[in-house]
Amino acid sequence: MSLIKVCEVTKTYKGGDGVVEALKAINLEIAEGEFLALMGPSGSGKSTLLSVLGGLNPPTSGKLIIDDIDVYALAPERLADFRHEYVGFVFQQYQLIPYLTALENVMLPLAITSRPGKEQQEMAHTVLEKVGLGSKALRLPNQLSGGEQNRVAIARAIVNKPAIIFADEPTGSLDSKTATELLELFQVLNRDGLTIIMVTHNKENLAWVSRAVYIRDGILAPAPQES
Amino acid sequence: MRLTDIAFQNLRRRKMRSALLVISVVIGVAAIIFLYSTTQAMKEDVANKLDQYGSNILILPDTGEAMTFGGITVEAPTQVKELDMSLLPLMQTIKNKETLATIAPKLLVNTNLKGQEVLLLGVDFPQEFQLKKWWKVDGLSKNQLPSSGEVILGSDVALSLNLTLQQNVSIKGQDFKVAGIIQPTGSAENDQAVFMDLAVLQTLANRPNAISLIETAALCYTCPIEEVTQQLSDKLQGTKVTALKSTLESRDTTVNKFNLFARSVSLILFLASSLVITMTMKSSVEERTREIGILRAIGFRKRHIIQIVLTEAGLLSLLGGLLGYLLGMGAAVYFGSALVKAEVLIPWQSDLLVYALGASLLIGLLGSLYPAWKAARLDPTESLRYM
Repeated sequence: MSLIKVCEVTKTYKGGDGVVEALKAINLEIAEGEFLALMGPSGSGKSTLLSVLGGLNPPTSGKLIIDDIDVYALAPERLADFRHEYVGFVFQQYQLIPYLTALENVMLPLAITSRPGKEQQEMAHTVLEKVGLGSKALRLPNQLSGGEQNRVAIARAIVNKPAIIFADEPTGSLDSKTATELLELFQVLNRDGLTIIMVTHNKENLAWVSRAVYIRDGILAPAPQES
Repeated sequence: MRLTDIAFQNLRRRKMRSALLVISVVIGVAAIIFLYSTTQAMKEDVANKLDQYGSNILILPDTGEAMTFGGITVEAPTQVKELDMSLLPLMQTIKNKETLATIAPKLLVNTNLKGQEVLLLGVDFPQEFQLKKWWKVDGLSKNQLPSSGEVILGSDVALSLNLTLQQNVSIKGQDFKVAGIIQPTGSAENDQAVFMDLAVLQTLANRPNAISLIETAALCYTCPIEEVTQQLSDKLQGTKVTALKSTLESRDTTVNKFNLFARSVSLILFLASSLVITMTMKSSVEERTREIGILRAIGFRKRHIIQIVLTEAGLLSLLGGLLGYLLGMGAAVYFGSALVKAEVLIPWQSDLLVYALGASLLIGLLGSLYPAWKAARLDPTESLRYM
């Protein structure tokens, strides 16, 4: 059963050279529990599609249905609630808040819930343990390696138990060993039932995903032929 | 973790910016508190000085017939139901006795000098000189008072009787030396009277202890004149105690100018502080575009962002308000009186702390409303492009 339905989604921007069509009538269905790779060259529209799927970027036309909810029909504040409830993001460059410890960064999505502080701490500790950083919970981001920061970002994305994780080039700035560890972690989370959608341009990452979707010039395209 | 924790941690991280914002609130609040306290002292000082400059309460016998004295209705000497000296110690028994700065009793007696009708005024010279600070008396040095054998003359009397300093004049059969001549004042009760010692005139007129009226200067800044007047009326049976409204209105007009000045400057300082806070918070928000984008992306509502920004501003403003109060109040208490040359001590007013905290919070929140609104309106996608 499809968790995500993308129906005729178009996204245009007004740029210096006139109107740019970043996405052109995209149709896509993603099943619950999939680990999907969004692939394509730079400027193909994959990050734009990811932001549309994540409820961050309203399409110019078309619909996004997640769990039978017409996402962009929601009022702006309800859309924020939707992101909080359904979605976890792992951004490029980790995007941790530098003055908060790893534990506090992970607790961020819980700060707007009514959960007591102790419960928030326990939940954050649990996910930090899960990503292998239980012992470094009180470190600031600049006291962690790139891979560790990425794991904190993943812990922050899953602490609120979302249905979907969106990851934008999560392995882009990691060495191959750390990247492999990260993908292993994603696979574990996926096996636990999380739907994961990952933007990547690295073909080696395809070994870890259940399906890959290619995008070129704003439209879904068949997989490129190996040369 | 709560939103306040995020705000607090951000303030800890951005120490310099936080310090700048606190300093701007401190300067604004300290200046307002200092200005308010010193202006209060100046007002009280000026009010006291004005209150002592002439009388503002007149005590007369409570009868019907009248004559005019300096534009004030006074009993005609021949018909007067006299007051007596026993009233003076009674006046010192009213609740607000400390407000009675000057008590100047007078006996009015008409007499004939060199064929002319002249008004003799028996006065308590030390009190009279304190009350008539504008008098310029030829023949008397500063702080010099006439003796019991001396008189001072109003300018018109001296001219019409052709009397000069040090000359002797016979009054009711007793010789008095002219110790001083008051330079023209423009008022008949000063220019057309002969002033002599009250006790001497009482003896000469064979009216021991008698007085016709009492002029009083009450310091009415801290105690409303109506209250003092009522207290005197209650104590001094058979008298008519009248507050001189025109004197008070003139005093109030002057004092109100201080209020207007203080309010205007405070408003300007308030606006200036708010503007500095707006600029500081706006710049802080712009620096944190990426952070705000992350928070919005993970589901923070606009109101959560506003709450964080306003919490930060509120915490810093309260700290600034507290420090500003301590600085402004301390400066006012220790240097305020000397700075404005007021003869009034400025007390440490702890109740102003509440106003200082309230005002600083208002300054902080008003100054941060626009930046907070701007932060909340940041598009998460646009913000994340900073990544």
